[in-house]
Amino acid sequence: MLDISKLEHRWLKYKIKSILPYAAILAVIIISIITFSFLMFNKTTTIPMVTSKKEDLKVKTPVPVPSINDENSMLLEPSMQFLQSMSGSTPLVESVPTTPVPVVPIKRSLPLAQVQAQTDTVPPIVKPPQVPVVKGKLTSIKRDDAAFDIHELEERFKNNSNPNLGLYIARYHYDHANYTESYNYALKTNGINATMDESWLIFAKSLVKLGKEDQAKKTLQLYISNSNSQNAKNYLNTLTKEYSK
Amino acid sequence: MEPSLFSKPRDLFTDVVNPRDYVQIDSVSHMYQSLKTSVQKPLKMILLYGRPGTGKSMLLHKLHHDLSKHQKVCMIDIPIIDEDDFLRVLAQKVYSYASREALTLTRFLELSSAVNFPVIPIVLLDEAQLYSAALMEKIRLISDARALKFVITLHKTDNEDIIAKEHFQTRIWESIELQNASHEELKIYIQKKLLKANCFDVANMINEKNIKLISKLTRGNYRESNKLMFALFSLYAWYEEHNPSKIKYNSLSTKYIEMAAIHTGLINA
Ligand SMILES: Nc1ncnc2c1ncn2[C@@H]1O[C@H](COP(=O)(O)OP(=O)(O)OP(=O)(O)O)[C@@H](O)[C@H]1O
Ligand SMILES: [Mg+2]
Repeated sequence: MLDISKLEHRWLKYKIKSILPYAAILAVIIISIITFSFLMFNKTTTIPMVTSKKEDLKVKTPVPVPSINDENSMLLEPSMQFLQSMSGSTPLVESVPTTPVPVVPIKRSLPLAQVQAQTDTVPPIVKPPQVPVVKGKLTSIKRDDAAFDIHELEERFKNNSNPNLGLYIARYHYDHANYTESYNYALKTNGINATMDESWLIFAKSLVKLGKEDQAKKTLQLYISNSNSQNAKNYLNTLTKEYSK
Repeated sequence: MEPSLFSKPRDLFTDVVNPRDYVQIDSVSHMYQSLKTSVQKPLKMILLYGRPGTGKSMLLHKLHHDLSKHQKVCMIDIPIIDEDDFLRVLAQKVYSYASREALTLTRFLELSSAVNFPVIPIVLLDEAQLYSAALMEKIRLISDARALKFVITLHKTDNEDIIAKEHFQTRIWESIELQNASHEELKIYIQKKLLKANCFDVANMINEKNIKLISKLTRGNYRESNKLMFALFSLYAWYEEHNPSKIKYNSLSTKYIEMAAIHTGLINA
């Protein structure tokens, strides 16, 4: 059978291994920032345009591991001219953030070549999960939800009044933007079992989607007074913030 | 032992082929329909191929289950590799002709013309990559003589493209390729299995992110997905018994999915 503690141990090792590349990238970035600010502090001269030519070259043939020296020379770009030339290519830089590297604050000021080099150092396993793994045949799957017979489930719900099934149907409708239906099914589910957080949340969220924020808030307050649910409180807070602006 | 919330979902994902557990998935249903029409065409032999675990045996058993209501169908799911044995077993199964000795092809064809069926009987052969070329040739001759109609399944492996193999190249073969499930299909597969068995609470735990991860790990392969889900719910059953406070019921835990993947070898750790 399963040896859980051994499995947990192996999982931990796996996790550490998969986080390592990110940690390395983070370290490189932190070092660059430190060097950058250090050099900024010391030098006030602007950099001749020659370096930006060098960059152009680098963009075409990205080097997998940026050497520290190259980085430094690239990072020394306080001239307005350079910043302007950078802003022209913002879209390219903006398309990069799919790399889950937590460097948001400085991304905009990072030279293109460096950003690219960073993505290059990321090994294939850490590709963002959004990359679809679907092989071919994309056209034939777009109507697949039709194969999912929600009416059959609704019939079953009529007969067995199982609150978990009710919640399932409510969620299905909410995910398919049928907010009246999700409202209805969440309502029915709450009627059968009034203690299910998620059903109340879907109920409130459907109300918001239907443009009845006030009713949603009232419902949540009522539910919170009965259940003291933290999830409901959190959602109510977000709602209050959003709609008091 | 207490009946666990997760033991029923776990057992749903054991790797067995039972036509009653067949889950309807759009692209598979299309193939199934075309399979059913092909079966009505005379002379054609039908080849179901695809990688291991893409549901070939399942589709074949489903076909057997559905067709046997209307006509003579016989399933040979464990290959009979011995050539003489093959005809003997076939004669026994289709014509109820018991014989101790080996049958020649001529004798077999005589037998078949002596027995009259309203429609040509169908023989389903699973795992046909194990049959020899000589036996495949005999099968073709039987099909040519309109004695029997064959539907066979074949593994497709990396190093040899079976379709390129000589005896499947001729035009008498009608080929249908089964593929791994797409992300959407896998979602439908898992959800339908759970809902069919009334495991609504567990079905509610599965969100898009979970499906994405599962489909990434298993590449949409049904067998791999079964194994993963089985290990996952075994894990959950264990935690439920020994450490219930660790379980969060609002979604499947990424950690547990990864642990299950390590256990089944999908993740190398
Ligand atoms: N449409 C389906 N409905 C329900 N279960 C399915 C379906 N397709 C595949 N499965 C399940 O997936 C698993 C693998 O399927 P199957 O054994 O049919 O694969 P296969 O293509 O025959 O593999 P192999 O080439 O190794 O024989 C089985 O446990 C089966 O129950
Ligand atoms: Mg098989």
